Amino acid sequence: MRPLAITGAAAVSPFGVGREAFLAAMRDPQAARRRAFGTPTVLDPQRVPGARAAECWDFDARQWLGDKGLRNLDRLTRMMIVASRLALEDAGIKRNGAFVAHGPGRVGMCSSTAYGSLDAITELNLVAELEDPRYINPARFPNTVINAAAGYVSIWEDLRAPNVTIVDGNCGALDAVLSAETHLSHGRADAFVVGGAEVLSEPLYLAFRKLGVLPPEGEPERMWLGEGAAYAVVEPEAVARERGARVLARILGYGTAYEPPPSDALLVHTSPEAVRRAIVAALADAGVPHRRVDAVVSAENGLERHDAAVRAGIESALGRGPIVAAPKRLTGETFGASGAFGVAHALCWMYGAPVAPVADGGAPLLRRIDVVVVTAVGFYGNASAIVLARG
Amino acid sequence: MRRVYVTGMGVVSPIGIGCEAFWRAQLEGRSGAARVTLFDTAGLDRDVACEVKGFRARDHLTAAEARHTGRCAAFALAAAREAVAQSGLPPARLASERTATVLGTTMGEANLLGELESAWIHRGEHAIVPAKIARYGTTLLPIHVARAFGALGPVQTLPAACAAGNYAIGFAADLIRAGRVDVALCGASEIIEKLQFAGFVRLGALAPERCQPFDVDRKGLLLGEGAAMFVLESEESVVRRGATPLAEVGGYGLACDAHHITRPHPEGEGSAIAMRRAIEASGIGPDEVDFVNAHGTATPANDVIEAHVVNEVFGGRRVPVSAIKSMTGHCMGAASAIEAVSCIQSLLHGVLPPTIHLERQDPACDIDVVAHAPRPHPCRVVLNNALAFGGYDAVLCLARPGVLPPTVGEG
Repeated sequence: MRPLAITGAAAVSPFGVGREAFLAAMRDPQAARRRAFGTPTVLDPQRVPGARAAECWDFDARQWLGDKGLRNLDRLTRMMIVASRLALEDAGIKRNGAFVAHGPGRVGMCSSTAYGSLDAITELNLVAELEDPRYINPARFPNTVINAAAGYVSIWEDLRAPNVTIVDGNCGALDAVLSAETHLSHGRADAFVVGGAEVLSEPLYLAFRKLGVLPPEGEPERMWLGEGAAYAVVEPEAVARERGARVLARILGYGTAYEPPPSDALLVHTSPEAVRRAIVAALADAGVPHRRVDAVVSAENGLERHDAAVRAGIESALGRGPIVAAPKRLTGETFGASGAFGVAHALCWMYGAPVAPVADGGAPLLRRIDVVVVTAVGFYGNASAIVLARG
Repeated sequence: MRRVYVTGMGVVSPIGIGCEAFWRAQLEGRSGAARVTLFDTAGLDRDVACEVKGFRARDHLTAAEARHTGRCAAFALAAAREAVAQSGLPPARLASERTATVLGTTMGEANLLGELESAWIHRGEHAIVPAKIARYGTTLLPIHVARAFGALGPVQTLPAACAAGNYAIGFAADLIRAGRVDVALCGASEIIEKLQFAGFVRLGALAPERCQPFDVDRKGLLLGEGAAMFVLESEESVVRRGATPLAEVGGYGLACDAHHITRPHPEGEGSAIAMRRAIEASGIGPDEVDFVNAHGTATPANDVIEAHVVNEVFGGRRVPVSAIKSMTGHCMGAASAIEAVSCIQSLLHGVLPPTIHLERQDPACDIDVVAHAPRPHPCRVVLNNALAFGGYDAVLCLARPGVLPPTVGEG
């Protein structure tokens, strides 16, 4: 692929709002981990007792968006608007809410979520089931449609180039990079806000608890749920350079793969072969030899079998050369947003945060990082990867 | 840029399962509207929709597939099987890292989620069936299809609401043009579900009995469901195996209104941009378009704006327009995929499908509507128009093979 420049980035995360807040937290990974996890306030303790997760503590969209027009926006949408707005400002495309580069018709959105509308659907299902379907609030109904959140971002930020929502489970935010790259290469926009968002919700927590994958209280090493929104602004490198934009990093390649499960009886599985193929394809797309990779954002999330498959795939693609770190242990599993948080971690490593937590259990490593492979691995045999290089 | 061809298509629709039955029903001007049977509509004030009738998953799916899928993925798999069979692609060509699978939808397996939540709300957490949780993910739609045919390339779900079909076909064509894959299985699938039905009732968008696009007395849309799937191939692939393509995928145009979450832009600004882009990206001018398969939902706002956009883009030239939602209902995420099948059938047969139930055309919709009966009309280039929640506008150009210039797909 033709390299894309990342000219801006922002996150709504357990560590606060904005690029700097995330980077500051990642400078001290152990402290970040302690800060991230706790008893979620967005879950009703009566209904989900003993829950622990990485919540975006104290997130209040009003601080960033004002009081007006928020009433019918759900938590997911609010996070997405705030993170997108800050990413556009960070990229120098907008200043004080106005476009200072490109323009509304030339900036679009490619956003991933896996379970984005689940909370909104449940809210209306509760009304329909416990009261009457006739009492459903029509102003909240659009939130049940999964692409509505990205649509609201376009409305709030006046982005009139293509608006795309991608649902590929855990791989969506990296697949959003493919979407942006494709539309940019066809000249359908000059810049895209790319990334993903996911929120904690009661149905999501219950579903994963029911599947038996969330740890009992006090067990830290299994999967934890997280939430947040992470976005990068990407532009063709030539476009970014021409307008004199600061380039935080470059996306050099993308790869993806699907492998079916070994048995007809299975549905859920993690494929090491898909992980390997996705990484190899991303490196080939980037024209980067594997020995140039300094670090890998591993998609490990604390699920034993999943993690073993991810590690095996990374190792078969890259050997034991690069540092492999599993940052979901710091921010939780954010599904559709996880690839975007992977990019955020990679940027932190390039800009002074130690690589952590290192997957073999070693201490955080502070060293110069120039090339990172970010992986995203689904629960159904799919995997995606991108190659990032320092700007 | 590489040319992209459609070599196979399949459809599950409210007016027929399979392309042949679907085309026959369009020629007959058959309505798919009937009383809802999938759930209880008591108290909802509306009880008509266009359900897919007589669909038995096991007629199309293996026992294992039927166990893993919900109704939405089953529709998609059934349509995909028909498309693959028609394409004549050898299984080994499909079972490749060079095959992508791209599916559109609005809400995927919404009824599975409804069942899970109903069990949880009324009977508590213990009543939730874990196996159903694993079957709910929207991302599973392309996974099921990829798995069935051994496709090992990109799998992607594009939930672009009521424009999802055009998004999926357009993006799949992009992947082929970019040289990332040679073959793509693409399309969209949707089911009717109670919460979504109730939501449309509450939005005041549902007609009581009939869907009447462009009629002065139109009362809104009827919900529909179904799926349509396509096999897309690169020109090299088609030439190498000596296949006969059904149609060429031209350019497509996307825009976002950035105006309102459910209502279209009052001047159709984004819609006009998307339509012009689809024409330009196909390397042609507006005069070369022979037919527009309309979004045509029969809501008061949509039809006037759509007619305005057609007149603006074609500069007063009376391009024939038809809205098959009058027969199929609004199949939401699947709508533009099902309508793309109809577009290709018009290219193949030189006949335009009718807009039924048009009794008195709205003077505010001053366009040439193919009313009541099919119209013989040789077509070389057609446009498939779609709008969606989120302010999405997506227009896809389809053409007879060999008609579009070599610059097709550059925009």
